[in-house]
Amino acid sequence: MEGQPATLARYLRRAVVLGVVAGLAAIYLVIVGIVPAFELRPLITGVLGLGLTVPVVAILVIAYHAGRTPNTWPAPTGGPLHRVVPPIVTGLIAGVGLGGLIVIEELFSPRDILPKLTPQTTNIIGLGFEYPFGPLAIIGLCTSLGVLAAILHVLEARARRALVIAVATVLTFGLVEPLLRVMLLQLGRSDLAAFLYQAGRHGLTPIAALTVFILVLLIGLVWQYRGERVRRRYERLPSARRTSVRYGSFALVGLILLVLPAIIGSFLSETIGTVGLYLLMGLGLNIVVGYAGLLDLGYVAFFAVGAYATALLTSPVSSLSWEMNFWIALPLVMVVAAITGIAIGAPVLRLRGDYLAIVTLGFGEIVRILLLSDWLRPWFGGAQGILSIPPPELLGIRFFGPQQLYYPILIAVILGAGVSWSLANSRVGRAWNAMREDEDVAEATGINTTRYKLLAFSTGAVFGCLAGAFFSIKIGSVFPHRLDLLVSITVLSLIILGGMGSIRGVIVGAFVLVGLPELLREFGEYRLLIYGAVLVSMMLVRPEGLLPSATRQRELHDEETDESQYLTQAETAIGGPGISGQPA
Amino acid sequence: MPDASRDAAAPAAQPESGNLVEVRGLTKLYGGLQANKDIDFDIPWRGIVSLIGPNGAGKTTFFNQITGLDEPTHGTILFDGVSVVGLSPHEIAVLGIGRTYQNIRLFRDMTVLANVMVGRHVRLRSKWYEIILHLPWVKREEDATRQRARELLDLVGLSQKREEDLAKNLPYGDQRRLEVARALASDPKLLLLDEPTAGMNPGETQTMTAFIARLRRELGLTILLIEHDMKVVMGVSDYIAVLDHGEKISEGTPEQVRSDPKVIEAYLGKQATA
Repeated sequence: MEGQPATLARYLRRAVVLGVVAGLAAIYLVIVGIVPAFELRPLITGVLGLGLTVPVVAILVIAYHAGRTPNTWPAPTGGPLHRVVPPIVTGLIAGVGLGGLIVIEELFSPRDILPKLTPQTTNIIGLGFEYPFGPLAIIGLCTSLGVLAAILHVLEARARRALVIAVATVLTFGLVEPLLRVMLLQLGRSDLAAFLYQAGRHGLTPIAALTVFILVLLIGLVWQYRGERVRRRYERLPSARRTSVRYGSFALVGLILLVLPAIIGSFLSETIGTVGLYLLMGLGLNIVVGYAGLLDLGYVAFFAVGAYATALLTSPVSSLSWEMNFWIALPLVMVVAAITGIAIGAPVLRLRGDYLAIVTLGFGEIVRILLLSDWLRPWFGGAQGILSIPPPELLGIRFFGPQQLYYPILIAVILGAGVSWSLANSRVGRAWNAMREDEDVAEATGINTTRYKLLAFSTGAVFGCLAGAFFSIKIGSVFPHRLDLLVSITVLSLIILGGMGSIRGVIVGAFVLVGLPELLREFGEYRLLIYGAVLVSMMLVRPEGLLPSATRQRELHDEETDESQYLTQAETAIGGPGISGQPA
Repeated sequence: MPDASRDAAAPAAQPESGNLVEVRGLTKLYGGLQANKDIDFDIPWRGIVSLIGPNGAGKTTFFNQITGLDEPTHGTILFDGVSVVGLSPHEIAVLGIGRTYQNIRLFRDMTVLANVMVGRHVRLRSKWYEIILHLPWVKREEDATRQRARELLDLVGLSQKREEDLAKNLPYGDQRRLEVARALASDPKLLLLDEPTAGMNPGETQTMTAFIARLRRELGLTILLIEHDMKVVMGVSDYIAVLDHGEKISEGTPEQVRSDPKVIEAYLGKQATA
């Protein structure tokens, strides 16, 4: 297989397979109901709905992939045909698949087995055309997607990037309409809001979509072709000027972060707060999993401990009824957190990999079940949990409601990121990484692996407990049902999505995986399905995550080339005359 | 290795006489199998001592007991006057033992520089809370560590251009050098080299042999070597011990061992001369 020359025929065979994959994926999206459900949210009013966009983007990505040369193949011979023809073939086949679906609906109406395959649905994928023109329309659209993918291949890399960014920006503008419209209105720019978004409906107006597209494309092109010059000019600046530019941008970001809750309003502040809590947990779990390589699937246990500890200490109706001030309770909660981290870490010190994952998974469940149990009801309140946790007060300011709670969460996140970054780039972070790579050698190199494992667990625990503490004051009560396995999975997923061991990655992951679903609340039932799809495709296409740490990126992308290089070297070495595997 | 002109560190101030390592009656049982049988073994300060023997003779088991990976069934191991039996590997590493591995075991997905800096871990003092608080000496120590790591890369002959590469992407010979640099980073008194020339061609083997001699000369290290290549062993060692079936069957200078009939027999008639 590897040795075959990369002929056009070989590309075409692959394109056919990819086309079938793309077609099946698109059909799946239709028959599980994602397309009809998401179509209710228009991205560009009257032109494009979110429902159709999902398979369209999927087909486009796969068609583009059909024109790429896999790493394991030899360099292609001949002209640009191998980059142009396969994407079109893939698009065509995917289109035939979707067209066929319309035909099947028309001829058999298989509502009994495929309840979501309705005439309304086929009308969406038929682009509004009546049968028999609908199937032709979708085949035409998918083939055009193939052509678009082929064009992308032919374009210069910089132009391609600008074009992709422009399209992505338009789609994003449509998608975040609830967020953006509110922000514009709060800023008093109702004129701009009216220009961008159709009154009374979701989605961009067609004219706004076009404007945004052209603007972003132009900016993108200028940046792609001239950006290098700007960067060089910036680097030529004297270091004092550079520092002031940097501080200036920090100040700008800081200012935006400060006024954000006022601009986005209560509902979105609530969403941002939730993102912040997951971000905090992501930073914590990133230390345990990303840096130290300890796969912890029971991270929710720390979240629960933090939430309940806060509730016990501050709520007037808790069994302790100490009614502590939140800010006094917080350091106590952190101490409890560190102890819990050590308590959960100590028994699993000898476990590695899968075994560790299973046992921590168990710990997470044990904590939840204990909190729910009748046995501990006098302390934790069983299924009812602990109610009336008062909003925290500091110097006469009451942090009540999402717009005020935003600030303490923001500070916690910034401090958390700072702590995480400092540790990662120090002796401690190196020890964690070494432990992740090879525990025995790390130990023989002088790293007290027991101590560093416990340090990782308790640092992670403190982050998780902090998130739990803020969660409890945000909700005003705690109860076990919100503290299930799904929290652990979400946190782990956002790390994987963003990039293991990368702080920027955690931030992006939290916004994509926690923030975006909040904006798309109406599609909640598909949430887990989308998580799964996103994670699987990430593992296939970009296993290092969206914004990986530099090291990790090299780790995963050098593999193919360097492994073979290493092998040939080893082979020469072994074949060499100097080796004496046996005593001479 | 580069030419022996540059020196990265001054030789450690150490007593010139006496033994750094004294092993008495070392026995290791794995169930019924006697991997090491009542071995007495000394390594003098600044000596280069080799341990040879056929495969399965118990050489690596011996190594593992000195470094704490295995615990002896009977016997004592004194390192610089301290008993290391029962200590965990990281405590032994702190005492001043560095090692390399027969089948290279680098931290493969860390950079070249980070590998050496990890090696220095035991000599660093910054605590986690000091790091979080960004106390001034943390950065100073970190800079000094990076500086020292670069010197060591230089010493073993690795180009600084590759310091940000991942360890696993280095060519085979460079990976061996990096392992030595990592071991040296902890300022060890004793360096254990487990088949340092395995998988090398004659040219590389020769430079490695010269490098081992240079380590003692310039850094004042004491070296214990496991090696199969007789050319290396005979060329560089002051003293050789031969293990077979877990027992020490012979010891002495290279000449004495070379002509010992027991040794020749152990190697099944193969000449011990090379």
